[in-house]
Amino acid sequence: MKKIIMFYARECPHCRVMLPLVDRLEKEMKISVERLEVWHDEKNADLMRSYRHILAPACGGQLRTPTFFEPETQAVLCGEVPYEKLKAWAEQAIGYLA
Amino acid sequence: MKKTWRCFVCQDVHLGFKPPEVCPTCGARNAYVEISTTEAMGLLQAFPREIDREAFLAAIEALAALNEFQVNPDRDKVNLLLDGLMANEKNHGYKFCPCRLRTKDFLEDMKLICPCNFLIHETYRHRPDGECWCGLFQRRPG
Repeated sequence: MKKIIMFYARECPHCRVMLPLVDRLEKEMKISVERLEVWHDEKNADLMRSYRHILAPACGGQLRTPTFFEPETQAVLCGEVPYEKLKAWAEQAIGYLA
Repeated sequence: MKKTWRCFVCQDVHLGFKPPEVCPTCGARNAYVEISTTEAMGLLQAFPREIDREAFLAAIEALAALNEFQVNPDRDKVNLLLDGLMANEKNHGYKFCPCRLRTKDFLEDMKLICPCNFLIHETYRHRPDGECWCGLFQRRPG
């Protein structure tokens, strides 16, 4: 089953900007985004690190926050982006049909 | 591989591939001798100094003043990032960038210690509005 994960950090300003956009995305697309904090939760950090070979090439060669990820399609979106870009990426990542 | 060196005049400690020709602390020339990391650590521990968030902010402001970049004038953003940096130092040992994640490969993770070498990053290089990834530093306008 397709799902979107948002890897974020509590003290990351870009993540602060994106979190309300994720709230809006969930309402508009009627989906659930799994928000995983990675600097204060080692289990979440280990999970993000386990996808390093997929995430880093899409994020300037590093693990950066925020990173949006769909494990099945391995779609990755990295950084602070406008809502429209986030939504377009999410629709493609999960094969969303409006 | 980097080595540790000690100035025999003033006990200044240097980490690097080769010793400084002139000691930046006392000005002595050709005064460094290679020492063990154990001895270097002992010397450093003899002069304990903590850097709190205000002192760190003053340090990066001073660094920026000597360079082409500035600390972000958005104080709310800076304060949030300082929260993260101090939390990461407390929880993980170093001021790791709050907007990236360490890999647990130490040499790789050294690149995440703030200030990082953001001048080479695609978010800064060749960009008039360039910033480091987290936004703590940005190119100074004009």
